[in-house]
Parts: sequence; C-alpha cells; structure tokens
Amino acid sequence: MSDLDDFKATYFDECSELMNELEEQFAAIEGGERDADRLNAVFRAIHSIKGGAGAFGFSGLVGFAHAYETLLDYVRDGRVEMTDDVVNLCIRANDIVADHINAAQSGEELDADYGQEEKQRFDAIARGQRGGDEDEWSGEIIEEFDIEFTPVRVELAVADDEVAEPIEAPVAAVEPDTFDAPPMPVEPGHWEVRFTPYRQLYSRANDPLLLFRELAVLGEINVRAILTDIPPLSDFEPFGVYCSWEISLFAPDLTEAAIREVFEFVDGDCSIEVVPLGHVVPPAAAPVPAPVAVVQVEKADENLMALTEDEVASAPVRLVAEAPAAPAAAEPVAEEPALSFADLANEISASAPPRPVPVAAPKPAAAPKPAASGEGGEEGGNRSSGVQSIRVDLDKVDRVVNMVSELVITQSMLTQQMDENLRARYTELVRGLEVLAQTTRGLQDSVMAIRAQPVKSVFSRMPRLVRELATKTGKKIKLETIGENTEIDKTVIEQLSDPLTHMIRNSADHGIEDPEKRKARGKSEIGTIRLSAEQAGGNILIIVEDDGNGINRERVLQLARDKGLVAPDITPTDEQIDQLIFAPGFSTADAVSDISGRGVGMDVVLSNIKKIGGSVHVRSWTGKGSRMTLRLPLTLAVLDVMLVKVGESPYVVPLSSIVETMQCSGAIFERVPSGGQVLQVRGEYVQVIDVAQRFGMHSTKAPDDRFVVLCESEGSQKVALVVDDIIGQQQVVIKSLEENFEQVEGIAGGTILGDGNVALIVDVQGLRVHQIHQNAA
Amino acid sequence: MEALSLREDNGDKTAVVGQNTLQLIAFSIGEQTYGVEITTVREIRAWNGATPLPNTRDFVRGVINLRGTIVPIFDLRARFGDGQTSPTKNHVVVVMSVGDKWVGILVDAVSDILTVSREDIHNVPEGNAIDTELLNGIITHDSRMVGLIDLHAVVNGAKLDG
Repeated sequence: MSDLDDFKATYFDECSELMNELEEQFAAIEGGERDADRLNAVFRAIHSIKGGAGAFGFSGLVGFAHAYETLLDYVRDGRVEMTDDVVNLCIRANDIVADHINAAQSGEELDADYGQEEKQRFDAIARGQRGGDEDEWSGEIIEEFDIEFTPVRVELAVADDEVAEPIEAPVAAVEPDTFDAPPMPVEPGHWEVRFTPYRQLYSRANDPLLLFRELAVLGEINVRAILTDIPPLSDFEPFGVYCSWEISLFAPDLTEAAIREVFEFVDGDCSIEVVPLGHVVPPAAAPVPAPVAVVQVEKADENLMALTEDEVASAPVRLVAEAPAAPAAAEPVAEEPALSFADLANEISASAPPRPVPVAAPKPAAAPKPAASGEGGEEGGNRSSGVQSIRVDLDKVDRVVNMVSELVITQSMLTQQMDENLRARYTELVRGLEVLAQTTRGLQDSVMAIRAQPVKSVFSRMPRLVRELATKTGKKIKLETIGENTEIDKTVIEQLSDPLTHMIRNSADHGIEDPEKRKARGKSEIGTIRLSAEQAGGNILIIVEDDGNGINRERVLQLARDKGLVAPDITPTDEQIDQLIFAPGFSTADAVSDISGRGVGMDVVLSNIKKIGGSVHVRSWTGKGSRMTLRLPLTLAVLDVMLVKVGESPYVVPLSSIVETMQCSGAIFERVPSGGQVLQVRGEYVQVIDVAQRFGMHSTKAPDDRFVVLCESEGSQKVALVVDDIIGQQQVVIKSLEENFEQVEGIAGGTILGDGNVALIVDVQGLRVHQIHQNAA
Repeated sequence: MEALSLREDNGDKTAVVGQNTLQLIAFSIGEQTYGVEITTVREIRAWNGATPLPNTRDFVRGVINLRGTIVPIFDLRARFGDGQTSPTKNHVVVVMSVGDKWVGILVDAVSDILTVSREDIHNVPEGNAIDTELLNGIITHDSRMVGLIDLHAVVNGAKLDG
C-alpha cells in the first residue's frame, strides 16, 4: 500500500510541475503566441494529469480533464478557433483542474457539479464544431469515462491470460495465425495498423485498451492480439508488455495522420505501422532473408523497433538456423546490439538443451530481445536529448547542503588557526589545507547548484495574479517578465512568492492609474508592470517596476505622522519617505480595498525578505512610476561576511553590502544639526551609525582607533557603521534567532563562529530604518 | 490542583511518574529554591558566557550555541527584578523547551530532583502581580518553599519595547 502512496506522491509532484507548465504556456498563449508547440504542451500536460488521475481513480478529475482535453484537441486540429474566450475558459479550467488535484491530494470531495459549468461550455464549443446531429456525442464520451478508467487491472487480467496462453499453445500454431494476412479488400478507407509496444509501455501509464477505444471512435475496428512473444511464466515480467496487436480499421475518410494521432502519447514507447490496405505488407507477404534482418538490427535500434512483430519474431529463429553466418555478417558494423544479438543466438544454438518442440526452443530466449533493445533504444533517445534527471527528496538535498555548509565553516576555521609560525613549520599541512579549501568551495558550489532553480517557477504565477487584479480593479495592466531563467536557491524561491505577490498587488492597486487618468496624463491606457530578475555579484536582484503614479509622498508622510512613525519635527528625505511604506501597519490606500490596503502587505515583504538575508529598496518618480528592488543572497546556506567587534562582542556584516572600510583616524566626520554625525567620503556625505552606541554597549577604544565600515544597503544611499575592531573575512552559516527567540531590531540573525561562540549578523538596512523611528520616538 | 495552570504543551508531558505525581528539577537563586518540571528540561550545562543581544531587556543574557542552534539565555534573577547575576563558571544554565522553542535559564545552582504529588501544590498567594505571573504554584519541600516557574511568563516580554 505504501508503494501506492509513493506513486501518488510522485503523481502529485508531477501534477504541480505540470500545472506550472500550464501556467507558463498560457501566459505565452495569452501574450499572443498561439503556435502549435504551446498547444501541444498544454495538451500533453492535461493528458498526463488525466492519465495519472485515471490510474488512481480520481474520477472527478478524470472527467473534467477529459472534457478539457477534448476541447484542446479540437483547438489543436483547428476545428475550434483559439479566441480570447477560449483562452479565458482554458485558464479558468486550469484553476479547476488545480482544485481537483488539491482535493484529490487532501482526500477531500469536491461538489459533484464542481466545474460542471465549464465542462458544459467545453462540450458546447466542441459540439458546435461537430454539428447538431451528433449532439449526444460529447456527453457519451464523458459517461464512458468511469468505465474507461476504472479497469486499470484489466491490463493485468489480460496479461494473465497471455501468460497462460503460450504454454499450451505451441508457437508454431500461433505463428501461422499472425502470418495469415487478413483478406484485403482494396478500397480506400481500410487501414491496417501494427502496434508493437515496447516493454515499458505500462510503466508510462499507457493502456492499449484506451488506444483501441479511441481508434474505435474513428471507425470500424477489428483488433487481433499477437501472442507469440509471450515467454514462459518463469521469464515473465508482470509489468512488461509481451503482446502486440494488429488492428484493421475502416472509416471512409480516415487519414493516416488521424490514426497516428491516436498513438501520439505512446510515441517512443512502441512502434506503429500504419498501412493502407491494398498496399502489400512486405514482411508478412515475402519472408526476408535472415542476413538482411541482421543488418537491419545493426544499423539502428530504430530499425528493430520499426520491425513488425512478425519480423522480430521470425528473425531470431532464422538467426539460429544460420548462426555461423551471423557473426560474420555483423562484423562490418561492430555495434553492440548486433553483436550481442548474434552472440546470444550462437549461445542458444550451442547450449540450449533440446526442447520437445524444436521451433519453440529459441523462442522464449529470443523473445525478450526486441523489448530489451527497445529499451536500449529508448535510453539512447534519452541520452541524445541531453538531460537525464532523478527525483530526490528535498530533505536529502538539504541535509547535504547543511553538512557542506558546516564543512565550509570548519575549513575556514582551520585555515584561520594557521598562524605564520605554523605555516613556516608545516608546509605540507598548509598545502593540504589549501587543497581542502578549494575542494570545499567546489563541493559547495556544486551542491548549491543542485538546489538552484530558475525563478520562473515563481514568476509564472504572476501573470494570473495580474490578470485577476486587472479584472478586479478595472484597470488595464500588462505584465512583462525578464530574466526568468535566473537561478536561485530553492529555499529562497519558496520565500519569494509572498513578497512578490504583495509587491505586484501594490503596484497594480496603488501604482497603476485608471485608464482614463492614464489617458489624461498622456500615457498609454495599458499600465505596465515589469518583473525582472538578474544576478549581480553574489546577489540576485528582483525588480518590480511600474509606470504608474509613483508614491504619493505627501500622503505617506502625513499617514506616517498620524501613526506616530515619524515625529512631527522631522523632515525625512524623499527616499526615507518611500521606504516608510515598509513600516508595519502602514497603508496608503484611500479606501481599504480587498486587494491591498489592509496595511499588512509591504511590511510582510520586508520581514520575509529580511528573513532570508535580503533587503528591499523602493524608488519612486512622481507621476512616472516606481521601482522596488529585492536584493537576495544567491544562497541561504553560506554567507561571506566581515567579522567585526563591537564592545566585546563579535558581530558580522554581510560582505555583499560592504563598500569599503577605513580607520577612524583617517576619516572626516562632520556634525549635523540633529546631533548626529556624517562622514565625508570623496565629496559624498554619509550618515554615521555608531553601532556600540546603538546597541547600548560601551566602547573601550579611543575614537581614533575604531573603524568605519562603509555599507551600501539597497539603493544608492550609503551608511557608515562605526565599529571597534575589524577581525577579518570569513564564511558563516546563517542561523535563525527566531527559531528559539524572536526578531531583534538591528539584527538579521546569528551565526556560529569557529570557536563555537555566537556572532550576530548586523541588519544594515534595519539600522537605518530604525534610526528614523528612533528619531521619531 | 486547579492552581496548577501549566499550559497544555508542557503539562501533558508529566505522565512518566503517574497521573498524580510530578517530578521537578530544583534549582536555587540566592537563598530561594525554584523548580521546573523535569520533562521540560533538555540539558543542564555550566555557564560559559553568552553573546549579548542588543535591544533586549536586561534579563536576556544573550545567546549561546547549543550544537548548532542558537538558544537565548534568560537570567532568572534579573527576571525577578533582583538585578543581573554576575555569572561564574559555577553558575548553571538549564536548557528547557517552552512550546516549540528551546531556551536556557541562568540559575545559581541545580540542587535536587523532587517528586511531589499534584495535591501538594498550593496556590500562589494573591498580592504581587509579579509572583502570580511568574509562578504556577508553590510546594513545600523539607519545610522550605519551592516556587514552580511558569516558563512562558519568564520568556515573554523580552524585547525592549515589549
């Protein structure tokens, strides 16, 4: 039973991937890219979801997915036009499919008529194309489903029969049957289909029965199973396919393409031969001499796959007969399959004990061969497509990441322990440590690469959000995404969804103006939100830009004053005002809307982003728009920091935010009226924060012996932190303070140093924001 | 019995000794003895310094590294308003789980393990809000009073601005 649960878990994993894919495809389709590739991708995704759902008996999902699929199929072959209406219906349908999946996953029951309305619309659209006379058609199909998908076990039952069959039936008796070409009425519309599945067909959740049913929809059908390849029970793999089928099909205006389409989803898992009747089928009619068969096998695996069941079945038999000749024939093209094939045949003829039925003797041994080389061919196919992947539990990866992180720390601790004295004495040890350092770095990079994912997975959810927002607000909004292939650590990506949602909501709700207003201002009626991702050094920048109204600073300041966030006698800079929108409980919406404006949005952004060691910055241009920038670490696991001392305590400052460091004795400080200090750096004046003072600690050092760490938090504004000592650079693992305590102002987290002590990570941006609040208090 | 308003999440870990008895770790602060339920205690370790946390109240002594996780240390004496402890190597940190968090409290010494009956737990005398806030109840052991610490209350209100 747990096996089934495992399969289910995998299925749901796949479903969520497929749903992402759907989102992505529809985002493009909505953007006007209505080409066949996209439609096919959508179709495949829905089909896969449906297939799995059928296997697990989620009948509601199957029913809906099928109706959806039918519509897609019509769209694909051009019978239904891809109008905006249809696109919207499809997008709505994706939601319903997602709901069905969620319900199935959590074991809930959806209302029986859930999605019924959409389903009817599918049917209506589909029926519109089929013409009135077949009104009942789509309904019929849907009804058919429950029957169609429940009998997963039927395949097994069929297989069981098959097992029993060959034992009693001597091969000789069966073979004539298959060679026995059906009567050939030479009139158009008669087709002969040879369907030879490879061994793995069932493992791809494909069921020949379904294919036959689909064929039956096309026209009159007559299916014959070919059972010659079924091995004795001892060699029988229960999940392998040993059967192949010949299907004769009649329908007046049937095309080869239509038939092949039915087999689209088993493409690569079987060989299909579609021959119009009346054309002679060579293998059945004229036996091919054995050497030719061998050459075919050598040339390419595909040839073997293309062989009809009969050819494959007959080839080994002949090979055995001409065993001595076979290796010679194989020599010119020294390829694996051919050699092994021939060798095997040799071996069989040499060592196989005589069997009661001579013809049957080579048969069972040879039978697995086509399937085996089929699998080989399949593998080859995978190889050529380049990407091979495995599914690994994220927990396992996380464990490795954590251990590698600790390893990196230990390594950097070891390196620090090597003082000059030791270095001079133990050169070998030093060399070893250097190699260790390199290897750990490499190991860390590779491990992090495993967990890296393109931001696409988050970005792809945004088009729908924008669509919904546009509908709700009555605004016209277009979303542009750039750099969605930028890769970030998975854990960072997971934390990204909420903040991005809030930021885009904010842009749509507060930034972009109504169409009329935009027109009056001489802008295009359609507002644009641009979502982009790029890598900048050790950081990832995620930028949300809009061409709306910008931040209404007067209102923001007014509200901040009302709420006591800013003291009445303080005039913050424009930038500080912009940053105020991230203060807790702050909202500028005139009316609390149901989109944003509950005042919980933007501070969630800030706290979420801070939690993962990032920072947020906003810039606004009145009347022209605003830009919010998230700066995120590439990885959460290891942070490059500068270790400093404040009072007697160790603190670390993320290296990515440090611009430069200098001694206080060489720095030029000036006083400003508020009593604070500013630092003059190359003609620029920078706010100074004495960290010891801010953290309520006593500095025992003379002012001139202290150090300035010039930091650049997000945006252009710099800040100068005054610390007591600079110890050096190192790598640390970020540890959460909140896990056992709570968030502390000015502190972004903690970390454990090589000596086992805890050092706190300075939240550079938090210190600045806090400064405003403190002035207010 | 009613007086023992131990919260759900640590009250339910008492089943070890039986329904009606309770095992406590007793520790001393100055002359006074206090106790916490033994099942909440994770570890007892000697004081080895802590990294101070800025912007917190004086009873937050800082954070320590407990096998890779950061655990805050609360100074129980300071929490009772008696000023900060000046810890030495002989002082002890009792690491406990409070809800889903681990915290350490700094005490002078751990003295004993007590087994008491739930019926012997007395109410904290009304009067001073600090007493009723920080203590869950009082028991008598060797004719001396042992206060049952309410860990949730001790941990709360650690931030400077409440």
